[in-house]
Amino acid sequence: MAIVTQYYLVLSAAVFCIGVYGILTRSNALMFLMSVELLLNAANINLVAFSFYYGNLTGQVFTLFTMALAAAEVAVGIGIILVLYRNFEDIDVTKAATMRW
Amino acid sequence: MAGAYDFVPAIAALPLLAFVVSLFFGQYLPRRGAEAGIVATAGSLVLSMWTALTVAGVTGSATTYNENLYTWVAGLADSAVTLRLGVLVDPLTALMLLIVSLISLLVHVFSLGYMNDEGETGLPRYYAGLGLFTASMLGFVFANNLLMAFMFFELVGLCSYLLIGFWFRDAGPPSAAKKAFLVTRFGDYFFLIGVVGVFATFGTGLFAPIEGAETLHSFPELAEEAIASGASEAGVQTFFGLGPEAWFTVLGLLVLGGVVGKSAQFPLHTWLPDAMEGPTPVSALIHAATMVAAGVYLVARMYGFYLLSPTALAIIALVGGFTALFAATMGVVKQELKQVLAYSTISQYGYMMLALGAGGYTAAVFHLTTHAVFKALLFLGAGSVIIAMHHEENMWTMGGLRERMPVTYYTFLSGSLALAGIVPFAGFWSKDEVLYEALIHGLGSEGSIGTLLLAGYAMGLLAVFFTAFYTFRMVFLTFHGKPRTDTARDPEPVRWNVKLPLAVLGIGAATVGFINMVPVKKVTGAEIDYLHKWLAHGGIELTTSEHYGELLHDVAHIEQAELGPLAPGAVSLLLALAGVGAAWTLYNVPEPEEHTDRLGGVKTLLMHNYYQDEYQVWLAQGVTVQLARAADKFDQGVVDGVVNGISSVSLFVGSRFRRIQSGVVVNYATLMTLSLVLLLLAFVVAGGVL
Repeated sequence: MAIVTQYYLVLSAAVFCIGVYGILTRSNALMFLMSVELLLNAANINLVAFSFYYGNLTGQVFTLFTMALAAAEVAVGIGIILVLYRNFEDIDVTKAATMRW
Repeated sequence: MAGAYDFVPAIAALPLLAFVVSLFFGQYLPRRGAEAGIVATAGSLVLSMWTALTVAGVTGSATTYNENLYTWVAGLADSAVTLRLGVLVDPLTALMLLIVSLISLLVHVFSLGYMNDEGETGLPRYYAGLGLFTASMLGFVFANNLLMAFMFFELVGLCSYLLIGFWFRDAGPPSAAKKAFLVTRFGDYFFLIGVVGVFATFGTGLFAPIEGAETLHSFPELAEEAIASGASEAGVQTFFGLGPEAWFTVLGLLVLGGVVGKSAQFPLHTWLPDAMEGPTPVSALIHAATMVAAGVYLVARMYGFYLLSPTALAIIALVGGFTALFAATMGVVKQELKQVLAYSTISQYGYMMLALGAGGYTAAVFHLTTHAVFKALLFLGAGSVIIAMHHEENMWTMGGLRERMPVTYYTFLSGSLALAGIVPFAGFWSKDEVLYEALIHGLGSEGSIGTLLLAGYAMGLLAVFFTAFYTFRMVFLTFHGKPRTDTARDPEPVRWNVKLPLAVLGIGAATVGFINMVPVKKVTGAEIDYLHKWLAHGGIELTTSEHYGELLHDVAHIEQAELGPLAPGAVSLLLALAGVGAAWTLYNVPEPEEHTDRLGGVKTLLMHNYYQDEYQVWLAQGVTVQLARAADKFDQGVVDGVVNGISSVSLFVGSRFRRIQSGVVVNYATLMTLSLVLLLLAFVVAGGVL
């Protein structure tokens, strides 16, 4: 017997909240990146769940794209983190606060 | 075959070429650019003669020429104004071209003696200025529409600025140049409005109609039609609810503003005496043939328009008569040679305006001609004296120059006799005709116009005495008596290049009057009023003096009184002789005294030029500056204040608001999250889910 869709949605919401919580509380850039991955994956779970619920493959195909995008994003993000470390000898995002007015 | 008229633009183009050559290559030429100027003006003179002969009907069949050569701004719509440059050649143009190019040539030759031989620096600039000056005046003379005339009019003003301020290292000339520029510009401002008014009213600025497949009408012609048959019939647009006559008077007076400025008429005459700071040949050019003549020439050029407005005519006559007397009295007390001549110039142009206002078109042109010759002569003679006196101009340091510089003396005497109006020198004939025309038209016309013309005549007649007096005071102080300084005992000799122009003009000053001896004609019946005939003929009927005579009679209602020319002529001659006699008794003595001291307070008044400068400076500083300051306050305070206020408010708000941009990524994330939550809550509440 199949698991009802609501559970997937609850899971997705929980993962999303964990991601948001991570972004709001952590100052380590790597943690940041991971939290962003959590947000993305929460969205992916939603897409797959609804795709399964409606019997339509579009959502799942879309998820593949999101995953590819996430991989690219991680590459860029880690690049930024490396540069951040070079300039500030730290990867604390609250310290790199010079890009403002 | 190319006729003379095809070369008319070259009359102005040649001096323009000389301007370019002198300016850029003058320093490599042995005479620093004088060669270019002399060759160019000589060429202009030859072309002018050819043109005059063609107008006379000797070398061609067409006696007039009026063509548009270049369309400057083409109007697209049917009723749009098209701005063109063109050439108008009629007897008046031909005469003026001759005068201007002749005087300009002689001035160039004289400059060899006055500038080159004296070792002046900056000569290429000087000759370039002369060339441009001549070119702009010649262009002004053959302009066939009002806008083109205005453009060259302004160029003439610019050149006078450049040349009066030639010795820019001294204190005086730059200030005099600025004054000449500003005062004439004040008049030109009204002229500009007048030009715009004429174009708005008539849709054309042509002085004379152009015949062709489609006849282009001239504005005096349209104005005449509008007065005869109503404005709408003639397709003329008047403004401010004025009828055609009143509106044409307004237009005429606006254009007259420029004339008053350029021809140094009261109250805008103050620049001219100061302009004496420039080199003396330039003074000769400005006062004889170019700048000052431009104003009077403009009135003569559009005379058909002025004749439609008796009010404008009366104002012209009154301003002219008043200026003639007013300037002559100031000339009586001046001590510098060139100052006396400056005031005589203002006074003589007053006579021309008087003649124009009184309907004496031919008399005005005649006086313009003779004055150009004898005033150029007097200025060049003064230049010769100034060379001899090592640039000392005060007449009280001179005396006894008669024996030491005979050529200058006799030619200067010829010019002085002409200026004073002693028979048979040129000035007598022309001044006499001016006064005669003013008198007969004043007596013949009824109402206020007759009175005004007679008032102008009375002032002009009185000025004859003063003119003769100051002229001969000048002659006696300079050339007669005993030398009063060492320089006057041993003056520097002058060379051929000074004597030759003097000789040419000296003969001219004695003989030019013979072209128009109206009194002799009336007495003997001999047909010798050549200038009358010259101006009365021509292919363009609307610009002939015959047509002007009809207009004067039919439209302006200025009539002639029956009066023989002998009695008025005798009166003015007697007054002139009285002036000469007075000067003779007071100043033709070995050791003359300053008799003007006996005038007391009047002398102070005259020496200060009736405090004209003072009141104009007061007008500028007391009124205009205050007004400008108030306007500045309004601009800075109110207009800029509103703009600055708005911008400072947004600057302040921005400076407070930007503080939310902390640079810390976590804060942004927090804000985004909170906003999203708030947005969701808002949707939920608004959507009525809860």
